[in-house]
Amino acid sequence: MEDPIHQFQIENLFTIGHIGPYEIAFTNSAAFMLATVLVICALLLLFTRKDGLVPGRMQSLAELSYEFMAKTVRDSAGTEGMKFFPFIFSLFMFILVSNLLGSVPYGFTISSHIIITVAMALFVFLTVIFYGFYKNGPRFLKLFVPSGIPIYILPLVSAIEVLSFFSRPVSHSVRLFANMLAGHITMKVFASFITMLGAIGLVGWFGAVLPFGLIVALTGLEILVAVLQAYVFAILTCIYLNDALHPGH
Amino acid sequence: MDSSAFARGFRLSTELIGGVIVGGGLGWLADSWLGTKPWAFIVLLMLGFVGGVLNVMRSAGLAPPAGQAGQEQQEKTDRD
Repeated sequence: MEDPIHQFQIENLFTIGHIGPYEIAFTNSAAFMLATVLVICALLLLFTRKDGLVPGRMQSLAELSYEFMAKTVRDSAGTEGMKFFPFIFSLFMFILVSNLLGSVPYGFTISSHIIITVAMALFVFLTVIFYGFYKNGPRFLKLFVPSGIPIYILPLVSAIEVLSFFSRPVSHSVRLFANMLAGHITMKVFASFITMLGAIGLVGWFGAVLPFGLIVALTGLEILVAVLQAYVFAILTCIYLNDALHPGH
Repeated sequence: MDSSAFARGFRLSTELIGGVIVGGGLGWLADSWLGTKPWAFIVLLMLGFVGGVLNVMRSAGLAPPAGQAGQEQQEKTDRD
């Protein structure tokens, strides 16, 4: 059976240099990150250059993605949230395009590595903390002190609120990572059923039709998941930033 | 906001697991720093579990967001 984990293997393409004992290499993951950024730049810069009043196909794709995210940010983080729009839009486009590139055969899915999603989730988490204290000062701590709680159970409730706050980057990052990992492993496992059944002869060929049909359906589902998870990551970022913008209302 | 039931279920389960992992992890760290094995781990694991349940209820829309008053409190301040 084909190893279903092999697709997540990090390979060094070439070495850039060394920092201490550590090798800094340009990996296949880095190559796909670069490709993702190039695709986004191509979509947003090249195709909007003509700046037609009646947008072409690619230009309307760029405009649609902008307007969709702008509406999402305004709805869930308010108008003040729009100062974070470049940040959220970059995250959304990066995850979306990298997930879609990962769905291409022989592609590498960047977000199937937890280190990538943790880095993004921690960046959002630290942004919320720093901006929350910068904008609200100590009032930011009101997030952990719900109003209308009797004083004698307040320490317990605050402790729970703090832990709930600190568990955010975990669920934020694990959700994207696990979805991409599980989906891609499922696809590889079903795809290997086709070759295994095909190897046993004529009966196997008819049997192989079943996993083949499933693969077609799973590929459609994977594309849906790729878009959905990018959206979920972005909207959760908005919800968390909303706490930094208006703690305790 | 999630369209499929699977995505919704997955979202809720990661909220709970996140709370337990963070609570247990912080407790374990506190124990190894303070030398209070195993008390901080036990207490923080349970608090983390409660925090995880709170996160699940929040993302399911059953509890008000952080820093906001509960329902009865909200109604009282609305009347005032």
